Amino acid sequence: MKYWRETLAVAGRILRELGRRQRSLIFWGIFPITLLWLNGYILAERAQIAPTEAFTRAAPVTLVGAALFFSCLGGSVATVVAEREQATLKRLFISPLSGVSYFLGVFLAHSAIGLGQALLVYGLALYLGAEFSGSWLLSLVIVLLSVAAYVGVGFILGTQFARRVEDVNALVAAFGVPLLILGGAFLPAALFPPNLLDLAQWNPVFHMTEALLQVNADDAGLDQVGDHVTFLSWFALAMTGGGWLAYLRMIQQERRL
Amino acid sequence: MLKITHLVKNFGSRAVLQGLNLDLQPGEVYGLLGPNGAGKTTLINILCGLLQADRGTLTLNGNALGSANRGLIGVAPQENLLYRSLTCAENLDFFAQIYGLNRTERRNQVAQCLAQVNLTDRAHSPVESLSGGMQRRLNMAVALVHQPKLVILDEPTTGLDIEARYELWELIRQLQQSGVTILLTTHLLDEVERLCGRIGILKAGQIIVEGSLGDLCQRINAVEVATIKSSAEDQLLARAQVLGFTSRRYGGELALWLPQVWTLTEILNCFPGIPIESITRQPVRLEHVYLEITTASEGL
Repeated sequence: MKYWRETLAVAGRILRELGRRQRSLIFWGIFPITLLWLNGYILAERAQIAPTEAFTRAAPVTLVGAALFFSCLGGSVATVVAEREQATLKRLFISPLSGVSYFLGVFLAHSAIGLGQALLVYGLALYLGAEFSGSWLLSLVIVLLSVAAYVGVGFILGTQFARRVEDVNALVAAFGVPLLILGGAFLPAALFPPNLLDLAQWNPVFHMTEALLQVNADDAGLDQVGDHVTFLSWFALAMTGGGWLAYLRMIQQERRL
Repeated sequence: MLKITHLVKNFGSRAVLQGLNLDLQPGEVYGLLGPNGAGKTTLINILCGLLQADRGTLTLNGNALGSANRGLIGVAPQENLLYRSLTCAENLDFFAQIYGLNRTERRNQVAQCLAQVNLTDRAHSPVESLSGGMQRRLNMAVALVHQPKLVILDEPTTGLDIEARYELWELIRQLQQSGVTILLTTHLLDEVERLCGRIGILKAGQIIVEGSLGDLCQRINAVEVATIKSSAEDQLLARAQVLGFTSRRYGGELALWLPQVWTLTEILNCFPGIPIESITRQPVRLEHVYLEITTASEGL
């Protein structure tokens, strides 16, 4: 009960802060919409497929490969760095808030943001004529695993490598953009040269986009996307564990200040 | 209320707290003074649970201080640690939630704390729109939102204008009247004189002097301090020495400790033929005691 109450408090606070920054909210909306629109039309033109099918294929990669990446990874880095910069972490350490609750609170807040973005991207795609198939439960699992992985990576980057808000952009650009390109977020993986496709097998973003794309666009089941989901599960687990350890290390460092 | 016995904390080879003892009585305002590096922040961090003591015992109401009873302590750190984009009420509500208050308790406590710090009319203003003084008050309100029995105020009025200071002093008095025990650290000695029933002076990790303001002032063998400006300081000092006055320099100005209350004429008569430009007399104050204890000042 204590953990649940604290988790809700942290998540609520993060979402409330996000709600205060209305301009940022608008930009967070514009980003996936623009990307979906561009991806869809480029795909329709280059692959010579109907726009409705193009949007069906563009929506999953836009969601997990771009929207969730920036909101969940960039967002969790920004959350941790902002707490450090305004020193509110120290106040949280003084309070009875447990580290587990803080971690889960950040995860819950970004899951909510992720689900919000999923509604936005899929809603717009449906409006543009996309038709999605496959298991919604499996889709939800893939989205949540992606959120967990991104938040975990965000914690690692935010606690270990970024001390100021200005560091966030450089970090996300340095680590993220190459991974996104290699993950098929902007260009379908089917167009990759063979050596890049081999390399992409080690890129978690590739597994996220491929898994969700196959489920939602090709009606694939767990038996068909099992490899992607397995890779993604291990990666999410490793990043969550890594994020937790990084958080503990940061607590030790911050307490000495 | 709070009892600290033989508290020791080292950072590597540097001993910060060296067997510190402190006993806070319920409902008192205790002023903890000390130069930078004396160990005040380390002590507060140990009380908050941010640091672990190497040795010593800490008890709160007779029970060992730990996560189970740390909720009885409220801390207002010296920086305003607030969520700047949230409103005053939202900040308080968040911390009240963390401290386990239910919805009704939170609503009541948020309203009460805002009233206590005179921010009711700014309840829905974002923190970033508040003045420095208002943020300071809200910072203190956050420390009070879970109704702690012991409140630690770490330099609560540093950087505030005099009006904001008066408001915070009034709040501290109100808290004391409501039975809350307060541990106050500050560099503003007049603040301690006004508010604290007992004062402890921390030096090199130990409280070396403790008592009421009156007790502490008696440690100086004087009832008044006269600050004297003269173009012939050497002559004046020689004469003061003959008369057995203790002399000190406070901020570069020459001061003599007067063993009794004298009139200006009586003081002037002590220094015949020595040109004196001005004499300022004041009763012995905490700053004189503090400087005497914390600096290794020698007679001039």
